[in-house]
Amino acid sequence: MIRTELKRGTAELAVLSVLEEGSLHGYEIGRRIEEQSGGALRYTLAALYPLLYRMEHRGWLRGEWETGSSGKRRRCYRLLPKGRKMLKPMRAEWEDLFRALRRLAKVRHA
Amino acid sequence: MPDWRANVREQLGALRLEPAEAEEILDELAGHLEECYDALLARGVPEEEAFARACEQAGSWKKLRRGVTSAKREGIMQKRVKQFWMPALVTLLAGWGLLTLLILSGVQPVMWYLGDPPTPIYLIFYWPWLVLLPLIGAAGGYMSRKARASGWRVYLVGSFPALAMACVFLVILPWSLVVDAHVVRDFAWLGLTAMTFSWVILPGIALCIGVVLEGLRKAKAA
Repeated sequence: MIRTELKRGTAELAVLSVLEEGSLHGYEIGRRIEEQSGGALRYTLAALYPLLYRMEHRGWLRGEWETGSSGKRRRCYRLLPKGRKMLKPMRAEWEDLFRALRRLAKVRHA
Repeated sequence: MPDWRANVREQLGALRLEPAEAEEILDELAGHLEECYDALLARGVPEEEAFARACEQAGSWKKLRRGVTSAKREGIMQKRVKQFWMPALVTLLAGWGLLTLLILSGVQPVMWYLGDPPTPIYLIFYWPWLVLLPLIGAAGGYMSRKARASGWRVYLVGSFPALAMACVFLVILPWSLVVDAHVVRDFAWLGLTAMTFSWVILPGIALCIGVVLEGLRKAKAA
């Protein structure tokens, strides 16, 4: 299990990456992150929602209420062009970090 | 079936936000926990365990309340800056910058003599400035509306140079009355009215005309 301190910095990239596939509501964002990271990244509501609201204010995402086929109202988040633009440099930054860690601490498969 | 909304409300307590916004947050968080609970039930997890595991998803309720409130407040501040302060500052600088340029380029005001009690009182009109002010008001209105502001906020932004001048009068006049004996002796309501009309009311009207015209243009385009 990855420690909270380590996970904290990953949340922005994780959210942007899953939203790149299409618009999702909060629960689905959390579920996909967990699923696609093989269960390594799991965010509580206390970590996920403040982040979603901040990213929304920065203009990276837009949240809109939608009524699903079940009749339930859910707030769906959609990636905005500004958020999409953030993905590339963010990925490059993480790759640099992994490369540095590989050199420094012999971390494999990073 | 647990009442997730009531549960979230109880755990989070009162959020120090606009009531409508706080209700939306409750709806969203309750929806998240409900989906989590339903998914666990669908996987065959017993109700009691599903409830406990869904609640675990919240993490620390205290941290959630603090995080959500501060994220939303941060957003409100950013919104205020984008919708109000930035366009207002631009309008203010453009309005008074333009007047400065006109004065420096030698434009003379038209002055209407009103009376002599006890010092001469004039209405002062910089016509070229007044004619151009609707453009500046329209620019302020456009910037504010573009940042999704509406109603009175847009008008405050558009007429900000006139409002700022009104504030200057409100500060300077009482101060002058206190510190300068000449002002007390020569004070005339007619003079104050003339000054307010020349520098606040007339420019304010010109700026608001710009805001209205820009609003009509936007409504027509939509």
